[in-house]
Amino acid sequence: MPVVELDRISKAYDQKIAVKDLSLRIDPGTMFGLLGPNGAGKTSSIRMMIGVTMPDSGTVSLFGTPFSRKSLARVGYLPEERGLYKKMKVIDQLVFMGELHGLDAVTANTRARQWSERLQIADALDKKTEELSKGMQQKIQFIATLLHDPDLIIMDEPFSGLDPVNAILLQDTLVDLKQKGKAILFSTHRMDQVEKLCDAISLVNRGTVVLSGTMRGVKSRYERNRVIIEFEGDDSFLKHEAIAESKIYAGRAELKLKDGADAQALLRAAIEKSRINKFELVEPSLEEIFIQTVGGSADA
Amino acid sequence: MHNIWLIAKREYLEQVRGKAFKITTVLIPAIFVAIFGVMYLAGKNSGTGKHIVVASSDAVLAHRVQQQLQADKDAQMTVDVLAPATESDRQQLTDRVDQKQLDGFLWLQTAPGQPQPTGTYESRTSGDFATVGRMTDAVTRAAMQQELTARGLSSTDIEALTKDIKIQTLQIQNGKTSSSNAMTTFWAAYMMAFLLSFTVVMYGMNVGRSVIQEKTSRIFEVMLASVKPEEMLAGKLIGVGSVGITQLAIWAVAASLFAGSALAGKLMSGEMSVHISPLQIALFVVYFVLGYILYSALFAGLAATVSTEQELQQYSPLAAVPIWLSFGMITFIVSNPNSIWSVAISMFPPCAPITMFLRMASQFPPLWQIALSVFLMVITIVLVLWVASRIYRVGILMYGKRATFPEMLRWMRYS
Repeated sequence: MPVVELDRISKAYDQKIAVKDLSLRIDPGTMFGLLGPNGAGKTSSIRMMIGVTMPDSGTVSLFGTPFSRKSLARVGYLPEERGLYKKMKVIDQLVFMGELHGLDAVTANTRARQWSERLQIADALDKKTEELSKGMQQKIQFIATLLHDPDLIIMDEPFSGLDPVNAILLQDTLVDLKQKGKAILFSTHRMDQVEKLCDAISLVNRGTVVLSGTMRGVKSRYERNRVIIEFEGDDSFLKHEAIAESKIYAGRAELKLKDGADAQALLRAAIEKSRINKFELVEPSLEEIFIQTVGGSADA
Repeated sequence: MHNIWLIAKREYLEQVRGKAFKITTVLIPAIFVAIFGVMYLAGKNSGTGKHIVVASSDAVLAHRVQQQLQADKDAQMTVDVLAPATESDRQQLTDRVDQKQLDGFLWLQTAPGQPQPTGTYESRTSGDFATVGRMTDAVTRAAMQQELTARGLSSTDIEALTKDIKIQTLQIQNGKTSSSNAMTTFWAAYMMAFLLSFTVVMYGMNVGRSVIQEKTSRIFEVMLASVKPEEMLAGKLIGVGSVGITQLAIWAVAASLFAGSALAGKLMSGEMSVHISPLQIALFVVYFVLGYILYSALFAGLAATVSTEQELQQYSPLAAVPIWLSFGMITFIVSNPNSIWSVAISMFPPCAPITMFLRMASQFPPLWQIALSVFLMVITIVLVLWVASRIYRVGILMYGKRATFPEMLRWMRYS
């Protein structure tokens, strides 16, 4: 039973079509990447998923049933534009959010304290939000999203503005939640994160899905025609006829081969000239796929 | 319902614990005392301490006028007499006024066979009605005394005849006549009207500001994942409204404690004593709640269409105009509380809370009129709430430029 199922949903504001015939499906225990350039319709789709707006046509189902507000008790949403009450104490704010999601005050308080221990921010609980740094506020919002133990977690750019240590802390938390069977939708521009974390993706452009599937499935559609090579010595083999494009660094090169070119021939040429420490044949990165698919058609 | 309660509680606690609440709770009564104090003192002291000259060809008349003017202790006037005076004296007096040695002079001319003199008051200021009023009284009385003396009456008789007659005011209510002090009834109702206009708009704007803060801090994005916009709006109105009622209750308790104190007994006796009936208090609460919901719903809807407090300020005439209109009609309403215009404006929902209390300042309106005005307000509130909540629902997720009126109309059709 899919946790989220969008079936050909469309939404238009005045003349502008935000989403057109968009379908997607997210299963329990998966991390799903919703990708796309700015203005592609990601936020509009998410808003319809959680009933902030209604689709003009098409259906939204959560947890196997058509959308109803009752389902929202099992959803945690961290929007890209984050907001906290500036003058409010952090713990009060977390308890308030928890209560809005149906927890009683005592449970909300206990869980808020547990989460803040885990995310190393317990000393901020008695401060006012305005006294916290941006990264700390983000962690507080992260906790607010998870407090009621949702089965569907929707996060819009969850790691933006975080230092690497904290970004990994939150990433690990999400992976942990995924392993507990939660469905996680996350929307981002950071392709390296998606590549590392997501099991499945949908790439949205101009309101429609232009590419979707499991991460492996999507990537296997592209030829393995990238070579990463690390070497010592003569680099004249980099002028080999099989190479279409190259980025050359000190002792390292990233190459794109011509269609139908033989990578083995390139390897033989390289060994003759220099000492090879690494020779890896790879698929295009998600970033390349993204740029190639969306191309110059992105709005921003 | 649970969510509305949670939102109202949060809003209430945040505002009541805030600095602004504490400051306004103390400051507003202080401003009130200051305003009414200044109004009272200004009324009492306007045109006092003037130095004038009474000039006339008739020395007896001039001295009588001087006597009359000096008898008015409140005025504290210095009055010199120049008599008999000639045209050249008049030029001299004009020069003295011009050189600020005098505040002004009163030129009295008598004509043979005419019992009343003609008077001209020349001064640097043109709008000193209080002084002119005092002089009119003084000259009229002096001329009358002079004429009576000429007709052979003794000075004691004249004194007795020209004394001020005190008029007692009685009010007829429900067929019963009771002695009432017109001033106290007036002040009580006037103060309540003033307080209403102040608090209703203050808290209405307060809701607008709070909507903008939530919009700029993007809290809506988070909240809407678990709460309906209508619940947010309702919770906010209830929360901020309760803050208003709390503040009014604090003032009411403080005022009644003060009224029971010995100091109040001294200060507020006679003309300054204030009587407020329980019915007036009940109506005050009703009109506060209705007026507050009307204005706060309006401002919540408008606030959702803008992004900054400055932009919201541009809509403030929507609240200010009904108040100016109400207070602009104050003299008319107080002297003609039952005229068609007074009744009409007290039925007009944006003005009803204030004007109904202004009518009470003069005469308690018929109950059916109060009931009708409450009914009309409720109908208007339902309409405004319906429109405001639809605009609010869409507006809170729209950022950037201020929405135009046609845009707001379109938003109302969105689902």
